[in-house]
Amino acid sequence: MKKIIFWIFILIIFILIFKGCVKKDIPENIPPNIPSSNIENIVYPQKNKNIEINGVEYLQSQASVGKFGGEVVISTIGEGPKTFNPCNTKDATSASMAGLMYDGLMSTDPITGEVIPLLAKSFEIKGNDYTVVLRKGIKWTDGKPITADDIIYTYKEIVFAGLGNTATKDAMTMHGKLPELVKIDDYTVKFTTPEPFAPFLRQLTYPIVPKHYFKPYSDKGDSVFNAFLNPDTSPDKIVSSGAFKLKEYVAAQRVVFERNPNYYKVNLNNKQLPYLNKLIYLIVGDSNNEILKFEAGEIDALGLRGSNVARYKIKEANSDYKIYNLGADNGTLFLVINLSNRKNKEGLWNVNPIKQNWFRNKDFRSAIDWAVDRKGMVQNIAQGVATPLYTAESPTSIYLNKNIKGHQKNIETSKELLKNAGFEYKNNILYDNKGNRVEFDLYTNAGSIDRESVGVMIKQDLEELGMKVNFKPIEFNSLVNKLSNTNDWDMAIMGLTGSPLEPHDGKNVWISNGQLHLFNQRPQNYKNDDRFGWEIELDKIFEEGALKLNFNERKPIYDRYQEIIYEENPIIYLYSPIRIHAIRKKIKNVFPSPLSGLLYNVDEIYIDGGNK
Amino acid sequence: MKIFKYIGKRLLQTIPLLIIVSLISFFIIRLSPVDPLAELRLNPSISQETLDKEIKRLQLDKPIIVQYCYWAKSFVKGDLGYTSAGEKVSVKLKERIPNTLLLTLVVIFMTWSVGIPLGIAAAYKKESFFDRLLTIFASVGMAIPSFFFAILMLIFAVKTGFFPVGGLTSYNFNDMNFFHKVFDIAKHLALPSLVLFTISLSGLQRQMRANMLDVMDSEYIKFARAKGVSEWKIIFKHALRNAVNPMITLLGFEFAGLLSGAALTEYVFQYPGLGRLILEAVMKSDINLVMASLMIGTIMLIAGNLIADILLMITDPRIRR
Repeated sequence: MKKIIFWIFILIIFILIFKGCVKKDIPENIPPNIPSSNIENIVYPQKNKNIEINGVEYLQSQASVGKFGGEVVISTIGEGPKTFNPCNTKDATSASMAGLMYDGLMSTDPITGEVIPLLAKSFEIKGNDYTVVLRKGIKWTDGKPITADDIIYTYKEIVFAGLGNTATKDAMTMHGKLPELVKIDDYTVKFTTPEPFAPFLRQLTYPIVPKHYFKPYSDKGDSVFNAFLNPDTSPDKIVSSGAFKLKEYVAAQRVVFERNPNYYKVNLNNKQLPYLNKLIYLIVGDSNNEILKFEAGEIDALGLRGSNVARYKIKEANSDYKIYNLGADNGTLFLVINLSNRKNKEGLWNVNPIKQNWFRNKDFRSAIDWAVDRKGMVQNIAQGVATPLYTAESPTSIYLNKNIKGHQKNIETSKELLKNAGFEYKNNILYDNKGNRVEFDLYTNAGSIDRESVGVMIKQDLEELGMKVNFKPIEFNSLVNKLSNTNDWDMAIMGLTGSPLEPHDGKNVWISNGQLHLFNQRPQNYKNDDRFGWEIELDKIFEEGALKLNFNERKPIYDRYQEIIYEENPIIYLYSPIRIHAIRKKIKNVFPSPLSGLLYNVDEIYIDGGNK
Repeated sequence: MKIFKYIGKRLLQTIPLLIIVSLISFFIIRLSPVDPLAELRLNPSISQETLDKEIKRLQLDKPIIVQYCYWAKSFVKGDLGYTSAGEKVSVKLKERIPNTLLLTLVVIFMTWSVGIPLGIAAAYKKESFFDRLLTIFASVGMAIPSFFFAILMLIFAVKTGFFPVGGLTSYNFNDMNFFHKVFDIAKHLALPSLVLFTISLSGLQRQMRANMLDVMDSEYIKFARAKGVSEWKIIFKHALRNAVNPMITLLGFEFAGLLSGAALTEYVFQYPGLGRLILEAVMKSDINLVMASLMIGTIMLIAGNLIADILLMITDPRIRR
């Protein structure tokens, strides 16, 4: 008797536990289509104006006037910032946080992408001279004025000296020469480039740092400067200029920013911004935890992926958040083919000569392009939250070649192309004209579910063509080593992040001796006399495109480069994910833009109502 | 006096051990085809010049044995070097060690103060309803994977809102008064320590029960019973003292696990401890950080065993000889 009661008791416990598990919160019918872009209906505020109050030249926000106070909690995935030194950021998290604290002379218009003044009041371009006039009377957080000396110091002693992250120096260097910089008066400086150089102006978004605070460290050289402003620097010592200043950093937990009372931007009532008292970044290890934190109400904004989009869209109607579709992101996912016909240092071929004949054949590459099912990938792998990609520039890019429309998968066209190239079918198996079976390796980095699934789909698509594909996901670092050092690979699925504003940033991928010229990587200092005709044209395009200053002159040049890639297919673009964000409705003045993202205007947002 | 000689001998023995462990792990990490600069290499806006500078800074251009010598030299001097992002390893560890210690100490305190009495009680009331119930809970506790249990707990926290979703402190922690601070930390610690508690409790409780049963069966306990010694005295004076020896060895291992035992749970709960730091370091092949943590793990293990042995010498006169 006792035993029976005992077992019944156990059974009840288990039933209760299982009952707790089966409760569903995902509706049965997930709508197949994703929310269409709703940011076209957003009425963006007018452009910021300059306004002078008591001799101080403020920047005036034209967004509607909000309430002061409150705090917004957002998240950053990963291990948090590695440094708050804006000149030494090498990862996105550090860069965005240092970017909150330090502003540049210029910034980017969130809607049109053009360069607009920020710390600068105005700028003028005459030939190769860029004259920049600074706002008068604006201050660092410690009350000292921001002057031309700070600008000169930042560029001459940090950027040009090659301290910290040298990306800006690299981008400003034209044929080994750096621009000249002279101080005209306390608020005016003049840059002179050695030759016309289009990407230059955008480099002036580089953060300006306070000379009186940075100089003692920059004088001591690279290693001291690299350790300067590391995350455990005492926050009240840091002198900055941005809308928010650092209040607290707690390792692996959070970064708290508070409003900078000396900020140089005012609202329509001429009250100094920002509205928020605090901006808090929670450091979360992975996206699953981020979702849980959003659901528990601990954070106010969330980037959505894949299947979550449909779920959140359904729950949106009676929730306290709103979903924005920001369009495709800057990331591109592609299949890259190794066109190398060189031997490595040991005298072995990078690519087997039999395969070289295939890979270096334009028709062979086009056949692969026609066989790849991009729509299927978007539907099955990205759950519809992506857009097929056919161009080297990402869909958000202001230089996107809109004439390239792309094409559906068509196996017949592929087979036609292969026959033209001399390939033959025997029992649906593809052989080249010398009777070799078409078989090669396809690599990607293991651990990325998206890329692995893409690999499986491409393998299936190409097997329809009678090719044999050995799909090998390998560890990310080993893959990069293959791509950039050893070059012993056939095809790979990879992704890169491009700049939506400046195609010249991708020059290391496209010019024939760039160090990221994945599809035909030449060793350093290699004579490039074995270029394809179209590689020569690409080299010319990237040379020429940088010399033209006017957008309308540059556009056709970069259109042509996208055409070349589309025709020659050394890299076959697959798809770009779409960015979908959820943000609490209590946060006002949110004007998401495809170029700048969701919360670029943290100085203008405020909180109204909605305190649950 | 003898005991100090023993300790000295044991400490000397650790030196070759440390050298071997560090050598093997250094080579394994460096020989794995993991490139710490992979992310930089894939960034189109990074120039070759910058890459070369980074390679030099991380000494990747030198042979592995030379890299090892550099590392060993600074390690002996007490300098743990810099992470690949340029932060001081010692600073990073200092940020995390107290958090991990807090969690593991709370858990060890809880498991030992509950597990030992439960084990004794279960052994004393052998095969009773109470013992069976404990057996079932112990089986469940041992069978359930810690990360899975942790995820269940997280979902529980989200659905009910009783507990925060991971972390150690709330974002407005610094504005709180002392009592709120204590309460805040307790709230954050509750779920991760519950998970670790459940899992290690079962093992400990079973172990104690088994030891106790062994001893209770022995001749001298029967003799004591026959002599009419009170049950209370039999258990706590005679049985427990003999049953506790294996537990002391276990305590040594617990000590070794102080800094590394909770890594999985820490990761799921986004607990700002060592586990999360090391995991990320391993993935990025951040050699100085990984080596530092491996060395800490080794030293803790050796120290734990040493402490256990010393404790055993104190409790068990047979070993002293």
